[in-house]
Amino acid sequence: MGENHFRDLLDWLEEIALRDGSSPSRILKQETLSRVLSDPRLGRSDKVKCLKEEVRRLRFPRLSRIEREIEKKIRDLKLKPQIQMSIPPGLEGGTLTVQMRATSYDELKRLVGDIEQTLAGDKVKEIFGLLSGKEGDAGV
Amino acid sequence: MREFEIDELIVEVGSEKSPIFANLSKALPGVPVTFVDQPQPGADTLSDLKDPFGTSKKRLHLLRHRGDFLKKCPGSDGQVCCNYFVINFASNCPMECSYCYLQEYLAHNPALKVFSNVDDLLSEADELLSRHRKFFFRIGTGEITDSLALDPHIGFSNQVIPFFAEQPNVLLELKTKSDRVENLLKLDPKGRVVVSWSMNPQRVIDRDEHMTASLDERLSAALRCQQAGYKLGFHFDPIIEYPGWEADYRDMVERIFATVDQRRVAWLSMGVLRNTPGLKRIMRERFPSTRLLTGEQVLCPDGKMRYFQPLRVEMYRKMLRWIRAASPTVFVYLCMESKEVWEEVFGFAPSCEKELGRQLTQTADERPRTGDR
Repeated sequence: MGENHFRDLLDWLEEIALRDGSSPSRILKQETLSRVLSDPRLGRSDKVKCLKEEVRRLRFPRLSRIEREIEKKIRDLKLKPQIQMSIPPGLEGGTLTVQMRATSYDELKRLVGDIEQTLAGDKVKEIFGLLSGKEGDAGV
Repeated sequence: MREFEIDELIVEVGSEKSPIFANLSKALPGVPVTFVDQPQPGADTLSDLKDPFGTSKKRLHLLRHRGDFLKKCPGSDGQVCCNYFVINFASNCPMECSYCYLQEYLAHNPALKVFSNVDDLLSEADELLSRHRKFFFRIGTGEITDSLALDPHIGFSNQVIPFFAEQPNVLLELKTKSDRVENLLKLDPKGRVVVSWSMNPQRVIDRDEHMTASLDERLSAALRCQQAGYKLGFHFDPIIEYPGWEADYRDMVERIFATVDQRRVAWLSMGVLRNTPGLKRIMRERFPSTRLLTGEQVLCPDGKMRYFQPLRVEMYRKMLRWIRAASPTVFVYLCMESKEVWEEVFGFAPSCEKELGRQLTQTADERPRTGDR
């Protein structure tokens, strides 16, 4: 694990411990984390990656929940592979980025039509609602 | 409010002729005074101390300031700014707020300093204000110190308020977490001075604003200043999220507007807790049990960490609702926030710093106007 990742992990474990009145070693023994650590299917770098993701979820529970909700809504849109939607790290800026890849004018026109159809539903509005801190969604 | 402990006075030769030295001698009669040619110790002489930043607060240096007193507030990259100017009449602060950015900003220059050459400060201000009479300035004195914490000892307000009171194109803001307003009550600000308080619920003050005035003390001081003719300002900064924060902050807002006349409130700002990764490390070292570092903060494009955007937008909206319920017309603005957050909270963002600066000066000079639409 790189030094920055390691520092993040340690910081987060300490901060979770302070917040919850626990200790880093007790946190690492939690089921979700010990399952990752003991999973034989995961190689070392995957294990580190999964561990960091799980610790991040514990450290930033509301942020992670909103990110997961948005990612699920994006998956539910069932966009073509040529269309990608993404959100910024930490949701900062509140932007939804839409990228389209087309190799011809006609293909681009079709993709734009697909986006228009997607916008006709409510899911994209809901995504912006989550990004903009609509009442109650940030769990405050 | 507890008295600050000044253990030593270190005076640059020449500064003993200043009014500030006379005031200090009267206010701190038992404190040993050392006269020096080179007034400030380098960081290396403090480096062998366990906590150089904290230890520095007990030794007050009085010296001449070399360089400009007056500068534009640096603001923050890419954030909406308010065209503020700052006068640095002192450096560092005798209080100990765990989140204070001075812990990082002054880490290599932590000496508690007061500058003796106030005449130079006033000459510089006079030159700027006279040269630009068509421009209305807002100037604050609390960027790298507390504007009033040491005022009973140094009497700085006695020298500057009479000057600024006579200027037609300026509002002087004295921002503080103290209740040290005794000198102000004897002076006539003539509508040119705003005394403002950084405010937090008592629970936050107890945990993280050490050596500052209590909420009651700040409110009492605000009322006295209002009665003496001063305009008031309140800065809800930093707003801190914790279990029960809503009840505490709502109660604080209600208490403020139950105490002061809202028509005398020039402005009110909001800003959530901000720190840099470097400041976080210092906070962790100096205040290991502070819970401020357990919030869901993310790194923003300007290099500062803040609660993630949907969370802080929700916090601002709630604060604004409580403020509006208590005072429909007080001018409210955000400090160091992005255009996007402004738009989410208020429905608009100022087009540039001059626009926000103009709105702020207009509200303080005439009947208060709203910052939100």
